[in-house]
Amino acid sequence: MWRFAIQNLVSRPLRSLLALAGLSVAIAGMVGLFSVAEGIDHMVSNTFSRIPGLAIMQAGAPLPLFSRLPAGWADELSEMDGVRVANPEVWSRVNVIEGERVLAPPRFLFGTSIAERKKLIKDVYRDAMVEGRFLDASDHHKQHTVISRQIATDHGVGVGDDLSINGDPFTIVGIYHCGQLMLDVSIIADIDVVRRLTRFDRDSVCAFYVEPDGTVENETLVEQIRETFRGREIQSTGNIAGALATGNPLIDLLLAIQNWLAGGTRANSLETTDSNAEPIEVRTADDWSKRFKEFSSDLNLFLGVMTSIGVLIAVLSIINTMLMSVTERIIDFGILKANGWSRRDVMMLITCESAVLGVAGGVIGCVLGLLGTELVNSTWPNRLQLYASPQLLLFALLFSATLGIAGGLYPATWAMRLSPMEAIRRG
Amino acid sequence: MANRPMTEPAASHSIEIEDLTKEFIVGPTTVRALRGVNATIATGSFQFVLGPSGSGKSTLLYLLGALDRPTGGSIVIDGQKINELSREAQDHFRRHEVGFVFQSFNLLGNLTALENVLAPFLPIGVNASLRQRAEDLLDHVGLGNRRRHRPQELSGGEQQRVAIARALLKQPRLVLADEPTGELDHQTGAEVMGYLRGLRDELGTTVVVVTHNESYVETGDQALRLRDGLVVCD
Repeated sequence: MWRFAIQNLVSRPLRSLLALAGLSVAIAGMVGLFSVAEGIDHMVSNTFSRIPGLAIMQAGAPLPLFSRLPAGWADELSEMDGVRVANPEVWSRVNVIEGERVLAPPRFLFGTSIAERKKLIKDVYRDAMVEGRFLDASDHHKQHTVISRQIATDHGVGVGDDLSINGDPFTIVGIYHCGQLMLDVSIIADIDVVRRLTRFDRDSVCAFYVEPDGTVENETLVEQIRETFRGREIQSTGNIAGALATGNPLIDLLLAIQNWLAGGTRANSLETTDSNAEPIEVRTADDWSKRFKEFSSDLNLFLGVMTSIGVLIAVLSIINTMLMSVTERIIDFGILKANGWSRRDVMMLITCESAVLGVAGGVIGCVLGLLGTELVNSTWPNRLQLYASPQLLLFALLFSATLGIAGGLYPATWAMRLSPMEAIRRG
Repeated sequence: MANRPMTEPAASHSIEIEDLTKEFIVGPTTVRALRGVNATIATGSFQFVLGPSGSGKSTLLYLLGALDRPTGGSIVIDGQKINELSREAQDHFRRHEVGFVFQSFNLLGNLTALENVLAPFLPIGVNASLRQRAEDLLDHVGLGNRRRHRPQELSGGEQQRVAIARALLKQPRLVLADEPTGELDHQTGAEVMGYLRGLRDELGTTVVVVTHNESYVETGDQALRLRDGLVVCD
C-alpha cells in the first residue's frame, strides 16, 4: 500500500513537489521561529546554571540595572549564617565604546568590590579568564577593566590596550570568555570607579551577589534574608521599578526603563510602619530561569500565531493537491473498488499518500530549519544563538505528519464515498 | 475460497435476476435504466447481454458485480441475494469472486502489468505464491515478457489481456466483461473473446459479456437482449 502510495505521488512529480515545498517551508519557518524562543531558554538555563549564588535586588526590579539598595546592607548580609560572601554590585548601561554608539547587543559597566569578589569560591568571570588577569587589589580606584573576548574582538583591542567607555579611558588588564550572550556583555571594573564615573550614589548599590557557604539550605537562607529585611522601606529619588511591577517580565522591563530614564540613583533605608513590606527580592538561578521562561512563553504564543498562518497555508496546499489528485483518479478508484477494494482501503491509500507528503515535508522542513538556524548562528555569532532542540525537531516532524494526514482526510472521505459504478462510467 | 461470505452454492448453481429495477436521479430527472428485468444465467454458461446504447446493459452488469445496489428487485447468485449483502461482504465478493473486464481496459497507469494484475490484493498483501500465479497468468495470455511494462507501453489488445489476467487471478466464479472488444480491431477482439471462452471451458467460470457486436455470438451461447431497460428476448 505504501509503495503504491509513493508511486502515485511520484507519477505526479510537479504537484507533489509543490505540495512538499509548501509544507517544508512552513515547517522550516516553524522550526526557525520556535528556535528563537528555545534559544532564549537555552541561553538562560546555560547562563544561570553557572551562577549558583543568590541575587538580592530591590523588589520588583527586573534586572540589577534597575534596582537600588542601601550599600550598608552588605555588612548585615555578610554576618548571616550560611553566607560566605555578599558582593555589592553597581551596574550601568554603556552607551558609547571607542566613540561608537552601542545599541545591540547591549554592554554594561559592572562595578564590583574587588576585595569581596576575591573571596568567591566560584566566580563566573574569574573562572572564564582567557587572557591577562582578573581584577586584584592593585586595580582598586584605577580605571582598569576586564572585558569579554567578544567586546575585545568587536573593537580590536587586547590586554594592555586602552578602551574608551562612555568617553572615559580604561586600561584592559584581562579578557574573559563565558560563551554566553547574557554574561559576555559585562565590562568589569572596580565598584568605586564605576560609582564615580556614573555619578552613582556612594551609599547605594544595585544588588548584592550572595555566595552561600553551604552550611544552610538555600531555601532557608533565602527566607532568613527576607526576614531580616522585612518591614524596611527603601527611599529613592524616584527611579525604583518595584512600585510599578506587573509580574510580566517584558512589561516590567519596559516600565523600569521608563522610570530609570526619569529618576536618580540614590537609595536610603528607613524603618516602615508596614512590618510585612518586602523591600527586596532574593533570586536563585531557578527564579531567574522562571522569569525568563515566562517571557519566552509569551514569545512562544506570539510565534505560534505567526506559525499557524504558514501552517494553514501548507494544509490548504495539501488539501488542494490531494483533492486535485483524487479528482484526476476517480476512475482509478472505481477500478480498485470494482476489484474488491473497500472504502476503507481507498481512504487508506489517499491517507498514506498525504502522510508521505507530511513526513517528507516534515523531514525537509526540519533539515531546512536546522540549517537556517546554523546559518544565522554562524553569521551572527555574537547575537542570540538560535537553538532547535531535538524535541522541537521531533515535534515539528510529528506535527507535519499529522498535518499531512489531516490534509488528506477530506479528499479521502470524498473519494471513499464515490460510487464505483459512477466513477467507472465517467471513464 | 477462504472467508467466503456467501453461503455455499445452492443446488440451482445459477444467477437469478428477479424484477430488477434501477433508477438514477440526474438533476430534476429520474432516469429508469432498468425497468423490471427478469432472467436466469446458468452457472458455467457464456452469456451475452446485447442491446443498443442506453438499453441498460452495463447497468445490469454492474449490478451483477455488486458495484451498485438496485432500486428494486433482487439478484440471487448461487442462492445468495447479493444486493442484500453488507458493504464489507460486497467488497469481499468483488475481490474474490468476480472478475471485471472493461471496454477501456481500465488499468492503473502508475503500475506495471504485473502490479496491475495484483492490484485487487494490494490492500491485503501480496505473497510469493500470489505473485507467481500472476506471473503465470501473464505468461498464459502471452505477456510473460511484458510484465514490467506500464499500460502506456502496451497495445490495446495487450492491455485487455492484462485486464483479463487481473480478472482471472482471483479464480472468480463470475467474469463480467463490459464491451471487452469495444476498443479493439476485429482480430484482436476475437483473440480476447477467445481467452474469455477458454476461461469458461477450462475453469467452468460463468462469463457475462456485454456487447453491441453480435458477430462474437456463437451457437450455444446464451443471449439476453435489452431495450429501454427491459428484456426483449432471452
